[in-house]
Amino acid sequence: NNSSQLSSLPLQILLYVNGIYYIFYFLATLAMIIYKSQVFSYPDDFLAPDLAVLFVMAILEVPRLYLGFKGNLTEAEAPLGLSLGLTVVSVVLCVYLLLWQSYVLWADVLLSALLLAAYGLESGLKVTAIAAFVS
Amino acid sequence: PADTRDAAQARVRSAPAPVTDVARLCVCDLLVAQCDVNCCCDPDCSAEDFSLFTTCSVPAVTGDSQLCSQKAAVYSLDVEANPPERIFKLIDQVNPSIFCIHATNYEQALYLKSPEIPTPENFDQLLDKFGGATFSAEPDSWNLDTDTQNPPEANETSRYEYGAPVQTEDAFLRLPSPVVSSWCSDANPAGFLVNQATKCIRSVSVEKCDSIQALSMLFYINSSILASVFQVNITVQSIAVQSLNGMRTLVSSSEVLRLPMVLDELCINAVLGVNYHITHTDTGEIIEAAAAFVLGAISKEELSIEQSFEISFTQENTQPVPLSGNPGYVVGLPVRAGFQPQGYPFPAAFLFAALALSSNKHSQLTILQSTSTQDCLAAQGARAPVLFGYNMISGCKLRITAAMKCQPLAQTLLVVLKGQSFPEYVASFGNSQAQDVLDWVPITQLHISEQMISHTLQSSCQIPVSLGIEVKWTKYGSLVNPQARIVNVTATITTTTLKQLPSGRERIIPITSSVVFTDISSPAEPSYKAWPTINIKLPFDFFYPFV
Repeated sequence: NNSSQLSSLPLQILLYVNGIYYIFYFLATLAMIIYKSQVFSYPDDFLAPDLAVLFVMAILEVPRLYLGFKGNLTEAEAPLGLSLGLTVVSVVLCVYLLLWQSYVLWADVLLSALLLAAYGLESGLKVTAIAAFVS
Repeated sequence: PADTRDAAQARVRSAPAPVTDVARLCVCDLLVAQCDVNCCCDPDCSAEDFSLFTTCSVPAVTGDSQLCSQKAAVYSLDVEANPPERIFKLIDQVNPSIFCIHATNYEQALYLKSPEIPTPENFDQLLDKFGGATFSAEPDSWNLDTDTQNPPEANETSRYEYGAPVQTEDAFLRLPSPVVSSWCSDANPAGFLVNQATKCIRSVSVEKCDSIQALSMLFYINSSILASVFQVNITVQSIAVQSLNGMRTLVSSSEVLRLPMVLDELCINAVLGVNYHITHTDTGEIIEAAAAFVLGAISKEELSIEQSFEISFTQENTQPVPLSGNPGYVVGLPVRAGFQPQGYPFPAAFLFAALALSSNKHSQLTILQSTSTQDCLAAQGARAPVLFGYNMISGCKLRITAAMKCQPLAQTLLVVLKGQSFPEYVASFGNSQAQDVLDWVPITQLHISEQMISHTLQSSCQIPVSLGIEVKWTKYGSLVNPQARIVNVTATITTTTLKQLPSGRERIIPITSSVVFTDISSPAEPSYKAWPTINIKLPFDFFYPFV
């Protein structure tokens, strides 16, 4: 590293990949919820919370990724810290979709586990990056 | 006392818990405390019983196969062993699909809902919901009494499609009909263009005569039908009053509404039948609605009466000729037939003249209807319409005495067999109009004499003994939706010689008439789209210097 660059390249790659994977995850989970509502008995008061969690997660993802990119590229710890906070919320919502949905299909388990792994790795890299920026 | 009653109530309040353990479930265990034959999961069977089985009728009991992994109880018979013994294995069945259910957090997901046990608290609510003759899964959309019923918008009711319920101000045009039992249910809507006739029984009592809504005329003409931008009121077309012995008389002043009332221990002006006539345009808008009533009297002893309802739809400015198919004949509908009125030239020569073939409902192709008396001469001319696709045979017995004269007998038998007005033309399609001459097939009449050997007394007269109508039809049109089309109709009269009987003797000969439908359609030839052709044309001066 001859030009003292503090921005973390692995974090940047991971954020980029995470964005693409999240789009796929959102569409796949939405399609599976629609499939479940047609094939299984899925009354409205059980369907509503699941859909709400999915959409809230999608809405949170956009600022989370933006703040992550911005913080990493401008080497500022405040946006990155905010992004880390939003990641924690996304993790909670992902755990809901993994464990407490009305119907958890095997495909749901796979996709959510992958997303959780990505979030975990990302959080670790963000913490390292914040430590690098602060010091 | 109080606590035993509470305990009894607590026992009653909960239904028995459903059994979900696959090892204990047995579908073929029908006899209690006895071994069911070939039922390998029956707990009442002993090892000796198992050795007598040939196969297991229920090889496996599994839970919901959509779960990723579930327990399954597998039963099989080991026929190698001597004596045969039953093998019971509890295995884990795995669903390999990626969309198998890994877990559910919704406890009623995989089981049927247990019904509510009636208690003094919820009894009234359950009775409201399930106490009638019918109940639907979604009562709110069909409930006629809710105040929150939104009236449908005008654009939706402008055009009706076939089968769509005819909407009125409050709900739908009712055509009471028997639903599960013969009792009238008022929740049956009339479908547009669906001609229906229903009969059902309604429970009545003379004391509550004027309070039972379904007995008063107002109930049936109260609401107006929604059609495009305006509403069509149901007018009273005619009122017929039926007396207690069944005689009906038309009432001249049909504008006055006659409401039921009690008179001399009878309930008069009770509605016994309603006949709706709805007129519509060819684009599906209802323009007129009329109802013809039959009112009658109910005596004190009667606890129920039979009401009959009918609805028919006619297009404006057309004669209400019922179609037998559109365009091909529908199996079970009557074959339409007609005559060529006198004075018109023979159709084949004049293709441009519109010949009016009279085809009213009563000149259908009909066949003799067998009666219980089976006597040809006593038959009152009862005839049954020939229904397309249904081969029919009917007959009667003719008692010939010595005194009968042959010639009048032959004429009478001809009328018995063919009916008063045997048609000359049969409609080729179910919707053939009278103006289209080419759509009508002439009936070929054949005479066959039974005596094939030349009899010396050829002048002895012949009487017809059988009429056979053979209708040849073919499949017409596209491969996926073939339409039935009548191509040829042949009516064959078979005659036999009437031998003179010695006086005092009598003979009984059977007279038969039959209709046979034969399918003469040639096998379908699928046609394929032509290969695209490449049209290449060279310009005319292509070979300029050389040509």
